[in-house]
Amino acid sequence: MLILMTQLDTGFGVWDPLVWLAALAVAIILGFIIRSFGVKDYKKGTDQTLPFLSGDKQENVEYIHIRASNLYWGYLDALKGYYSRLIPLHTGIVTDYLLWLFGTMAAAMIIGLLA
Amino acid sequence: MRLSKALNKSLWAFHLNSGSCNGCEIEIVAAITPRYDPERFGIKLVGSPRHADVLLVTGPVTKKMVEMVKRVYAQTPDPKIVMAIGACGISGGPFYESYSLDGPIDDVIPVDVYVPGCPPRPEAIIFGVVKALEKLETLQKQRA
Repeated sequence: MLILMTQLDTGFGVWDPLVWLAALAVAIILGFIIRSFGVKDYKKGTDQTLPFLSGDKQENVEYIHIRASNLYWGYLDALKGYYSRLIPLHTGIVTDYLLWLFGTMAAAMIIGLLA
Repeated sequence: MRLSKALNKSLWAFHLNSGSCNGCEIEIVAAITPRYDPERFGIKLVGSPRHADVLLVTGPVTKKMVEMVKRVYAQTPDPKIVMAIGACGISGGPFYESYSLDGPIDDVIPVDVYVPGCPPRPEAIIFGVVKALEKLETLQKQRA
């Protein structure tokens, strides 16, 4: 009766969180059973517990992390002439940005008045 | 031959080149071809020492490879067997006086089976694997 109360029939399928919880519990129990068959006398705290990287030492994760910029380095390299000028302008100082804002506005107004 | 409980399905080998000229590698690959077909007994090469029972080590262990050899040995689960394949791995071979060696292999990690030759024939490598199986059985009995 409890299961029926939590059941949602959408017309396309049935959703019941209690059934999912029961399935999750069974999966966890099965996982622990399979894990219990594993070798227990491995040497903890040694290289036996580290991933195999072709014999190389595992470096700091932050050092070997592949950044998002690694995916579009070619794009940045192709436009480096543009970025080399643009990036120094982005100083992060508010007065610099305000100077750019008002300077551009003044220039636009002068051009508008002259036109 | 009855295999131990831990190894009653198959014996997996990981090949580690510590500075070999590639002659022994060619013979190891020849040993796993259909002509000899050791895979019918479950003997095969694996891509990670984490899955291996036997390390097939070739080469005289150059200074650059010492840390790798020690690390791969440490990453192989117990019980494990190390086979030194080829004259270089056993004695340094023609490079025994070289400035760039820290070997031979048994100076770096313990070796259980020696397979001499330059390079050893595939039959010799397979014979060495059989010897390794016998030693693994003994080790497994000692652990039990």
